[in-house]
Amino acid sequence: MIDRLFERRELHDPNWFRFLFGNAVLAPLWLLARTYTGWQWLQSGWGKVRGDGWIDNDGVSLQTFWNRIVQIPETGQPAIRYDWYRDFIQYMLDHEWYEWFAWVIAFGEVSVGVALIIGAFTGVAAFFGATMNFNFMLAGSASTNPVLFVLAVLMILGWKVAGYIGVDRWLLPALGTPWEPGALFSPRERREYAT
Amino acid sequence: MRVGLVLLGVIAWAGVAALAIGMAEWDEPVWGYFPILIAVIAAWAIGEFVSREISERGE
Repeated sequence: MIDRLFERRELHDPNWFRFLFGNAVLAPLWLLARTYTGWQWLQSGWGKVRGDGWIDNDGVSLQTFWNRIVQIPETGQPAIRYDWYRDFIQYMLDHEWYEWFAWVIAFGEVSVGVALIIGAFTGVAAFFGATMNFNFMLAGSASTNPVLFVLAVLMILGWKVAGYIGVDRWLLPALGTPWEPGALFSPRERREYAT
Repeated sequence: MRVGLVLLGVIAWAGVAALAIGMAEWDEPVWGYFPILIAVIAAWAIGEFVSREISERGE
């Protein structure tokens, strides 16, 4: 019985799953989803980089946002539903982390946006995008976050093909994956790379 | 020759990134998207051309 827990048995994905998340014929659809998501991130991040009190005013906009969401109103529901998350924001607020965290958010959004648009490390960029969406939603901000979060999760699942019409078309075969070295690290692969 | 071709591909994709930031600066949420989409497809076509040239030359 206990040996079944540690049984070496690979479970395969169904055909529809492999078609949806691993077939290059759907690359044009992934291109649309990827560039749309990237464009949303880039616009949001570029606005913060260029002004709006994020990095040009010691993160005062972020400080104002954090101050607002940690409040618990007399009536109605607070913006943050989880006490541990409110404590986390309050901790950052007390230590004035908004001064440098505003830079992280602004340039993080721009980086995720550009990476998704050009399709470089799409799965990784989508993961960091989803992480930001997740945090914004925990902070009580809906906006476009639910839609972008779902698209990001789909792109994480389809990381092999989501950047096919993009830099990943050359980047992934060159670098490979942690479990399969790419052309740059494998002599045999290097001979076949150009084809 | 190979370096030149690879450089062409790198410049094409760097151009897409620059254009995307330019479009964000232009601040047109809807119309800024389409030039980016066309530029991505164009850069991909350039990349395919570069790959084919390198492959055919056997470099």
